[in-house]
Amino acid sequence: MKKLAIVASAVLLCAAVSGCGGKNEGEYAGQTLHIYNWGEYTGENLISDFEELTGCDVVMDNFESNEQMYIRVESGDTYDILVPSDYMIERLLSEDLLQPLDKEKLDCFDKLDPDVLGLPYDPDNDYSVPYFWGTVGIVYDKNKVDVADLEKEGFGIFADEKYKGDIYLYDSERDSFMMALKYLGYSMNTDDEAELNEAYEWLINIVETMEPEIVTDEIIDNMAQGRKALGLIYSGDAAYVISENPDMGFYLPETGTNIWSDAMVIPKNAENPELAHEFINYVSSYEGALDNSVTVGYTSPNMEVMEYLSGEDGDYYGIDAYIPRSGNPNDEVFSYDADTRLIISDLWSRVKIAASNAG
Amino acid sequence: MKRFSQLAVPYIVWTVIMLLLPMLLIVLYAFTDTGNEIMTFRFTLANFAKFFTDPDFLLVLWRSIKIALKTTVICVLIGYPIAYFIAFSSDKVRDMLILAITLPTWINMLVRTYAWIGLLSDGGIFQSLLGIFGLGDTELLYTEGAVLIGMVYNFIPFMILQINTSLSKMDRSLTDASHDLGADGIQTFLRVTLPLSLPGVVSGISLVFLPAVSSFSIPKLLGGGQFFLIGNVIENQFITVGEWNFGSSISLIMALIMMGTMYLIRRLDAYSSGRGKERELT
Repeated sequence: MKKLAIVASAVLLCAAVSGCGGKNEGEYAGQTLHIYNWGEYTGENLISDFEELTGCDVVMDNFESNEQMYIRVESGDTYDILVPSDYMIERLLSEDLLQPLDKEKLDCFDKLDPDVLGLPYDPDNDYSVPYFWGTVGIVYDKNKVDVADLEKEGFGIFADEKYKGDIYLYDSERDSFMMALKYLGYSMNTDDEAELNEAYEWLINIVETMEPEIVTDEIIDNMAQGRKALGLIYSGDAAYVISENPDMGFYLPETGTNIWSDAMVIPKNAENPELAHEFINYVSSYEGALDNSVTVGYTSPNMEVMEYLSGEDGDYYGIDAYIPRSGNPNDEVFSYDADTRLIISDLWSRVKIAASNAG
Repeated sequence: MKRFSQLAVPYIVWTVIMLLLPMLLIVLYAFTDTGNEIMTFRFTLANFAKFFTDPDFLLVLWRSIKIALKTTVICVLIGYPIAYFIAFSSDKVRDMLILAITLPTWINMLVRTYAWIGLLSDGGIFQSLLGIFGLGDTELLYTEGAVLIGMVYNFIPFMILQINTSLSKMDRSLTDASHDLGADGIQTFLRVTLPLSLPGVVSGISLVFLPAVSSFSIPKLLGGGQFFLIGNVIENQFITVGEWNFGSSISLIMALIMMGTMYLIRRLDAYSSGRGKERELT
């Protein structure tokens, strides 16, 4: 998917440069909006429609990880809109890199699902408006995996020798440690080093005995084609995989998972916050949110869109991965802690080194 | 004269800013330990200790060197015959072949490596070809073989062009002389052509080995997230972990290893071209 992200950003860049050169209509004609977003994370027509609506030019760069985004923003690159995840918003806030939203200019809050508003990282949504949300679970091939195993073992199925050589892990330190900590029955926000080490040993055991492939977005196409039996996956990607291949299922272990959200924020050094507010409104509107959610497959925070897409006429009818789970007391939202992050980062790079040396 | 020497000032400024300063920053970061603040640094050797006392890191380094050596050997074995063929073709054919070798290098390396993902992936062309021989289940992508293919593919043009240059410069009357003196084809090759082309082989080796040992995009794309070479460790320290100091110290260690390799290669080069000249005279 990274290649698509590169192609997409190249295309968008060309579109931004050539397509809008001639347009001079609209309130924001001649202005430019700089967006830094995940690759493959916007609706097919979202950017061009927004450009048409406002007359502005949009330049969008893509990142692959929150950490990659953070390093560029922290080192002074200017953007008007970022779309980081929950814990990263907390980090940006704690380092005073964001500016408060002007709620007078926003008309979106009453359209959004209250479940994804007021989350711990930004309790009053003074700085962020949700973009997508979901959970992290296990995508599995119904023909190869016994659901009873999933129910019995939860995330422990990744250490089940029955599926050796047939699993994908996701190359993300926090999701991998979330999986390990949840399996072991701990909070995924623990700062207890003994618990973190136990999680680390559990992951090391998996990479040394289970021959996993550690991938990122490649998991989406590969599972849609049924190449392996099991993988750790974001719910929105699972919804897409299942819509492509009905043999696939999505399972959320009872021991709990991560309820994540990615949200739009405006960095302190933004050059065009006015236009950024305009963009936030557009993305949250029915049209914008529908385009995003249909193309990308992640759950929209716009309630109307979510209901439509999971309803009988929607693209994700009958796919439970599309609707994030609510009501399991073991589910948690990530919070940011600088020291713990450093430990987890270091441990995860060691897990990957161990995987590499074992292979 | 003075006027002309002033013309060099922009280049010197450029070199200082773009080459020297970053190098100095790497050295500074490598020996300090307080985050990314330049103004409040504290000297330490802990970063180096961390690297050299951890068998996992050393194993990654060793594997990186091994795979770079394999790449280099394969590039010589495949590249030499190709270069030989090119050098001894007619002018027209030679130009065409040189163009064919250089043309792909005009395309960005990442794009070409992505193409290999498609070729090697499950259900891709190569797996289908293997399927004809009943080996359709062989996994190609995300293996060491895939990384080797990617590296050889990306770096072999440098080897071919270097060897070709030294073969083309060779005085053809020497081979004629060798034949006149009764040497057969193989003897002529082993005792005349090969020694004269060694400088090309040696500089080809340095152009292949050095980028191969520090490569991080090829192993990442073709080896997958579980294929970690030393370049990936460095990238990871900067991009994900955010430990610039540790990342810099590994970079510095790599730089020293590469400088050592360069020195050895230079010595080898001086030796082989010296021997070549000797033969030219005798």
